[in-house]
Amino acid sequence: MATTARPLVSVKALDGDMATDAAGVPMPHVMKAPIRPDVITFVHRLVSCNSRQPYAVSRKAGHQTSAESWGTGRAVSRIPRVGGGGTHRAGQGAFGNMCRGGRMFAPTRIWRKWHRRVNVRLRRVAVASALAATAVPAIVTARGHRIESVPEFPLVVSDSAEGIEKTAQAIKVLKQLGAYADAEKAKQSVGIRPGKGKMRNRRYINRKGPLIVYGTEGSKIVKAFRNLPGVDVANVERLNLLDLAPGGHLGRFVIWTESAFKKLDEVYGSFEASSSKKKGFVLPRPKMTNADLGRLINSDEVQSVVKPINKEVKRREARKNPLKNAAAVLKLNPYFGTARRMAVLAEAARVKARKEKINSKRTKLSEEASKIKAAGKAWYQTMISDSDYTEFDVFSKWLGVSQ
Amino acid sequence: MSDDVIWHCIRHNHCSFMAKIETGIFCRNPYNATGICNRSSCPLANSRYATIRDHDGVFYLYMKTAERAHLPKKLWERVKLPRNYEKAMEIINKHLEFWPKLLVHKIKQRLTKMTQYRIRMRRLQLKVREKIMTVPRKKTQRDLRRLDKAEKAAQLDKSIESELKERLRKGVYGEIYNFPFKQFDTILDMEKDDLAPEIEEEEEGEIEYVEGDDIEMGDMDDMEDFEGFGDEDDGDEDDDLDEPATKKPKLPGSDSRSKIGRKSTKVITEIRFSFQNHFIVRLVV
Repeated sequence: MATTARPLVSVKALDGDMATDAAGVPMPHVMKAPIRPDVITFVHRLVSCNSRQPYAVSRKAGHQTSAESWGTGRAVSRIPRVGGGGTHRAGQGAFGNMCRGGRMFAPTRIWRKWHRRVNVRLRRVAVASALAATAVPAIVTARGHRIESVPEFPLVVSDSAEGIEKTAQAIKVLKQLGAYADAEKAKQSVGIRPGKGKMRNRRYINRKGPLIVYGTEGSKIVKAFRNLPGVDVANVERLNLLDLAPGGHLGRFVIWTESAFKKLDEVYGSFEASSSKKKGFVLPRPKMTNADLGRLINSDEVQSVVKPINKEVKRREARKNPLKNAAAVLKLNPYFGTARRMAVLAEAARVKARKEKINSKRTKLSEEASKIKAAGKAWYQTMISDSDYTEFDVFSKWLGVSQ
Repeated sequence: MSDDVIWHCIRHNHCSFMAKIETGIFCRNPYNATGICNRSSCPLANSRYATIRDHDGVFYLYMKTAERAHLPKKLWERVKLPRNYEKAMEIINKHLEFWPKLLVHKIKQRLTKMTQYRIRMRRLQLKVREKIMTVPRKKTQRDLRRLDKAEKAAQLDKSIESELKERLRKGVYGEIYNFPFKQFDTILDMEKDDLAPEIEEEEEGEIEYVEGDDIEMGDMDDMEDFEGFGDEDDGDEDDDLDEPATKKPKLPGSDSRSKIGRKSTKVITEIRFSFQNHFIVRLVV
């Protein structure tokens, strides 16, 4: 990301602020960090583990008996049984996970690995990515926040907000900024949690509203916004991924104070300069500086070098068998045509020559004799056709007469 | 961020407007022109987009451009469309002249569909349509039961009889010669012995004989008294009946008569006309 002209974000003045002609604050470099939902999902999942409290069954559970197996020969199964007598418990099975009152299979232990470590740089990259996502109104809307009435994105408020002490005033400020719709949605969504969490001190759940980020340490703003359901407050220097991407979903609605917004460059640095607060941390570079693939493809630089579109579709020809198909043979062997022709001619000539040869050897009948023979043949034919025999199917076949 | 990045986040990560059903993926965003969750139809993933939305029967063309993407309040530019379909088409053509053809086509399809359903809605409003409303079954059944009990408790027959006898005694009917023999005898005997039955009379004023459709029981207080009385009576009757309980034999052939195709015996429907609201109300118990 070259240091191109950074857009100016105007600062919203609250009621009672002195009207300033300030041009605005330039957009901090973090907001241009690559948005990596995969990194955020990964890091969020791991980081969520870190506030867990261990749970386990008692170490002694199921073992507080002196049960012994009765062994074989007593027509009972061999699991250890409670000794003694005079009570229901005597003779009952003990110790096994299948026994009533026995220990469970693989009793849960407190030395299970509850927390996960995540690389420092990964954590920081995730937060930077989440911050970049908070600057995109589309992603914030997709997450479900009601930002239709917000005048500008990212929403930066003048520092007089940090001096707010009363919650009533805080609500007024939110209404002025057009951010109250989101806070109201969170307030109305308060409901009782389904499940056992109800009786484990997690009775109520609600949606997340805006996140207020302030810059100066010890501001009264924390107490003013603390009691609003769904609204969270955070210091710029200690931004939490679990607040910026609740549930692993990018795009929390964030309201910045002016000093917080200006401090972001210090805390997160830029793409070239490392941050002063996070030692050695430089913002991650995106794989593509311009990710708009459509625009790239249709740009002049690309289109001028690209080959023209080939609309015709070339399809494979069906393979013909040369042993059967004359045209196929001809393609392979051009001489085939002439060879075939010559063979045919030769055959015809041979047949003719043979016929002539035979004819010449045959005794030639005189003209009279040949006439008599012909007449005889004709009479035979008429005889067949006129005879009564032709009325019978069988005889007609035998005679070979076709009528 | 570019549209492609946004689309990737929306489609493959999370979008609160996406609704996945067995028939397909839909978008619940009110600005979506087609209603389907698509790369080309997503109002969030396209920096230049337009839709038509309906507000109280008036259609508006909404447009957004990339220039205003960072100002959510001013994002959507609104143009009112005239009621005439052809004129609305012209206006759309004018505003979206240099926009991608696919989007313009989808918007025009949407306009067509919306005009059609607007016509249909208006036509339906003029008709009187049946509306099914449910009636709380427990309450109605309870009221009916109480009605029955009150009737029984009132002992209407007896009270009517005594009233008529009283009138007869008084001589309201003048000289009648054809009344039931038994009752006549009893009254004569009573008169003879001077043992006219003491009937509670209202001493507030003259008794007025007024026509009445139903037997009015006066105040509601009286009803309640009678109810209590009636309940006790019923209780006694039940005890008596329990001992010599005989069941009626079930009619042969009632099993073979199946209930398929018959109207529900539990559902009682009542039709009321409500001209004010232009619908017929069918009360279903």
